[in-house]
Amino acid sequence: MTEPLLPAWSEPFVKEELAAGLVRASRVDRIDREWAWGGSTGAGITVAIIDSGLERDHPALHGRVVESVAVEIVDDEPRVVADDAGDLFGHGTACGGIIVGLAPEVELVSVRVLGADLRGKGTAFLAGLEWAVERGVQVANLSLSSKSEALFAAFHEVVDEAYFKGLALVSAANNVAGASYPSLFSSVFSVAAHAVPDPWRLYYNPAPPVEFGAWGVDVPIAWKDGGSTVATGNSFAAPHIAGIVALIASKHPRLTPFEIKTILAAVADDPRPVSARRHASRRRGA
Amino acid sequence: MAAEEAPSNAALRALQAAARRSAVGRRLQGDVEQVLLQSIVDATVALFDAEASSIAIFERDPERLEFRVAAGEQGAGAIGLSVPPSQGIVGYVFSTGQALALSDVLSDPRFDRRTAEKTGYVPRSIAAVPLIDGQVAVGVLQVLDKRSSPTFSLRDMELLAVFARQAAAAINASRVQRDTTLLIREVLRSIAGDADDAAIEVLVGAATDGLDRDDEAPFWRLVEQVSRLRGMSDRELGLVGDILDVVARYSGRPGRR
Repeated sequence: MTEPLLPAWSEPFVKEELAAGLVRASRVDRIDREWAWGGSTGAGITVAIIDSGLERDHPALHGRVVESVAVEIVDDEPRVVADDAGDLFGHGTACGGIIVGLAPEVELVSVRVLGADLRGKGTAFLAGLEWAVERGVQVANLSLSSKSEALFAAFHEVVDEAYFKGLALVSAANNVAGASYPSLFSSVFSVAAHAVPDPWRLYYNPAPPVEFGAWGVDVPIAWKDGGSTVATGNSFAAPHIAGIVALIASKHPRLTPFEIKTILAAVADDPRPVSARRHASRRRGA
Repeated sequence: MAAEEAPSNAALRALQAAARRSAVGRRLQGDVEQVLLQSIVDATVALFDAEASSIAIFERDPERLEFRVAAGEQGAGAIGLSVPPSQGIVGYVFSTGQALALSDVLSDPRFDRRTAEKTGYVPRSIAAVPLIDGQVAVGVLQVLDKRSSPTFSLRDMELLAVFARQAAAAINASRVQRDTTLLIREVLRSIAGDADDAAIEVLVGAATDGLDRDDEAPFWRLVEQVSRLRGMSDRELGLVGDILDVVARYSGRPGRR
């Protein structure tokens, strides 16, 4: 192999044989939901649930759990081991259930980063995220985040790595004041709750840090020990976006996280009442 | 402890005196933190028109979330109760720092009822937000059963987060004073930047030796008794002072140990 004459990142722009990699599927104005995920089931996509574990035999998960691991802290060093503890709180199962509800053929990987010995350990969460990135999942749902300033750089590094690998990190915005990582990083899909009881209703917010809105109020969810309940929180909004991202990624396998964000922005619902929308489109001459 | 590491006797005596005075002061003043937290749950219950509201604070050895204050008609049973941080809604909110609310709790017969039953009240709905002090969660504020609605709205969650910030600030403001050992340790650390942790622990141990709150010890019983005199008039307090004066003079007489 010959050495490239140009820095590597210029190659796709100048080499004809690589130009095909720049051809995108569609322009934003031609994107609609049918194109984005019509007919998709999420098949071929693996979603990591970085949370409290998954209850493999919970009816809401429809047997889609293919692997379960947990982070263990031994001598202050986190390591990832196979896990059969199920779900300590029910929360991971709730998130997994929402995702399978939207994308029934995804495969779920449970990365348990919560537990008696992992309380408040940002390093455990970080190790779980790193593991998911290395394992090669396409989507990860993170309904938690760390407030540790000390871990800022480490989280930044792994989130960038995920982004460059094409892994979509979907993170629930923390609704408690103060910084939290990685939900505030620009490359993640940061999600907060809206109250419209519709799993498909999604909003795009061009004023970051929280870019997307999804159903997160009074959501019927799976819970511990095969049970179910109704819950409110940003952490139930995030898996709605994760499920839709999985559908898009399944139908269009080469899309990068920023392209998926663009698609979500293009198909996002208009939060204005119908009358206001008509008025606006008349003024635009549409 | 090696001889060269020993603090001078005068310095140690000063530290011991400061530690003792701080512990006595805290006793006499009453628990400010408790009063503030109580006012927050009182306000929460009133504002939400809820059956109960309570605050659990994280404590160590063993690690647990201990319900310290509660308000509302159904709240009292929670006080003093502890739950493991790896269990239930309160544990999840504490462990993840993520606020959440569950409604229709009773529809799941296996829902974490054990803890709820211990309080004598099983709620239909719960909203819980973490108390964040700086970068770490220090506890959880929860509300049970809003009377006007079977669920909690996003606005409710935001409002609850505001109360949680107040509670966290109250805990932060009083935590150092609450723990004399911590106070001395923090002071030593800040003035002896290059001293290692082990050396500081030796000093802390020496300064607070004998301060362990043994409520049965006669001295602490006396402090407790004196603390109950807070509501007295100046004249009454003067009388108590005179009595103590006589006792002190008697105890200083030759021939008495």
